[in-house]
Amino acid sequence: MGIRFKEVSYDYPSFVENPYSAIRNISLEINAKDEFIALVGHTGSGKSTLAKHMNALIFPTAGSLDIFGRTITAKRNKKIKYNDIRKKVGLVFQFPEYQLFEETIEKDVMFGPLNFKISQEEAKLLARDSLKLVGLDESYLRRNPYNLSGGEKKRVSIAGILAMDPEILVLDEPTSGLDPAGKRVLMDLFKGINEKTNKSIIIITHDMDLVYEYFDRVIVMNEGKLVFDGNPVSLFKDVDLSEHHLDYPNSIKVLKHLNEELNLDLDIYQKSGQEAYAEIIRWMQR
Amino acid sequence: MKSIIIGQYVPGKGIFYKLDPRTKIIAVLLLMISIFLLESITQLLIALVVAIILLIVGRISVIKVIKGLKPIMILLIFTFVFQIMLNKEGDPLHSTQMHLTVFTVLSLIGAFVIWRVIAKFIKYRFTLFFLFVTAVYFILVHVDGGYPLVNPFLFEIYEKGVEMSVFVVIRLIVIITLSTVLTLTTKPTDLTQGLEKLLHPLKKIGFNSDDFALIISISLRYIPTIFDEANKIMLAQASRGADFSEGKLKDKLRQIISLLVPMFIIAFMRSEELANAMESRNFVPGKKRTRINELVLSYRDVLASVFSIFVLAGSIVLKVL
Repeated sequence: MGIRFKEVSYDYPSFVENPYSAIRNISLEINAKDEFIALVGHTGSGKSTLAKHMNALIFPTAGSLDIFGRTITAKRNKKIKYNDIRKKVGLVFQFPEYQLFEETIEKDVMFGPLNFKISQEEAKLLARDSLKLVGLDESYLRRNPYNLSGGEKKRVSIAGILAMDPEILVLDEPTSGLDPAGKRVLMDLFKGINEKTNKSIIIITHDMDLVYEYFDRVIVMNEGKLVFDGNPVSLFKDVDLSEHHLDYPNSIKVLKHLNEELNLDLDIYQKSGQEAYAEIIRWMQR
Repeated sequence: MKSIIIGQYVPGKGIFYKLDPRTKIIAVLLLMISIFLLESITQLLIALVVAIILLIVGRISVIKVIKGLKPIMILLIFTFVFQIMLNKEGDPLHSTQMHLTVFTVLSLIGAFVIWRVIAKFIKYRFTLFFLFVTAVYFILVHVDGGYPLVNPFLFEIYEKGVEMSVFVVIRLIVIITLSTVLTLTTKPTDLTQGLEKLLHPLKKIGFNSDDFALIISISLRYIPTIFDEANKIMLAQASRGADFSEGKLKDKLRQIISLLVPMFIIAFMRSEELANAMESRNFVPGKKRTRINELVLSYRDVLASVFSIFVLAGSIVLKVL
């Protein structure tokens, strides 16, 4: 078992008003291997707060969670080494600017492994490997992380977490601010890592197209509550997404529109643009 | 965090909230000057009563202000103790012989350890501190066995010392209460606007009060933002195993650098964005700008000014007489 939430709630303290409760009564299980999960919800629904619990960056105000056999509750337990949890569950933040600080990319990626008492030589190898994994070749090693494009910075920050060799990888909106092609490249990369290493990967995203196309499990948050946990196909078929302030994937929207306007009977549940196109062709040939 | 009231604006109603910031700044300044002119404890006590009446008139909770004084309690205690110990004028009131021997030092260390251990479990920090201080006094007076480290010395308290220490502490309390009234009832933006207007005449000698006020208000505005960013950076680096509570000094240094570098870079990014945003809204440095809320003086401001001028005049008269 990887991570298990047991009725976890978290309130952000507030000096003026009542505490703001970010997540309420979340119960959830995430396996240590082979999971590929999308975490969706509109802004302020508690996704990021949920993610920060997964590597014990913040502690629940009520309830408890198990992370690789260690129980996290509201009270800090001196016997637990929280750093060990952070090695097992790697969390990549949304903005790479918050973590890049060294003068070369190689050194920056080595920061994580070195914090976990891994030797200099080994850390160097890990840095090389994880940079290769995110698609940056050796010419990047000596470059300054601040002179990169937004997408490249993002890759370096992901490599910085991958180099720690976590068992579960959590990414907070890794595709935000990238162009559609860049998004796909990154998503293919995560899917590749998931398939190659069997590591569980949890990705926070707003992009329903990506959710439909890539994921086999999706967790939906709304106003701090977990409202759906299951297959994206059944999410789009059975749940009214407008209730949760979410949108449908473009493929479904386009096919639905065609059905309504032209009175067709297309199968609207197509995972990607290509599949939707194929469905239209199929209908025309029928 | 909640109890820190010094220097913080707390929204509310009452006459002081309606006063013009310029009036408030000048009035507080005048009142402070008059406090420094006072010479006896009786006069200061009257000033303290006046300050409390001002709080009541302004509908500011006295208890809240007292609670707000807590952080400077240490400062007050130190001034009090040093005044008592170092001022050797007037008649001696109290005098005891004190010893400093090996045993005394050992008992002192013992008392300190006991104090720290109890302090970990019990919340009454001030009570415990006073208990500790009393214990130190008794140890110094009564434990005299063993090898003496210094010759026995006299611990003396003089009349003037007590008087001066009470005087200084009351003066500090009154002054802090007055300045708390100012900061408690004035928004930081209003405060800077008031300062800007007050310093405006200095333009003739080359001091640009507009820029000064802008710098202050931008810094005030960005304190919470930068704080927020620092928190995020800390979490991001903690995710990479930077543990700020444990580790050797060398590792700690590296971890602090991992905070500072992104901090600076983000601060510069922010300032560049802010500059662009201001320019795109047609901000031109040095040009005259208008405000949405222009400051207007009302009859209240006249009253407040007259009151503070009277107080100043009164204390000058007392001083001269």
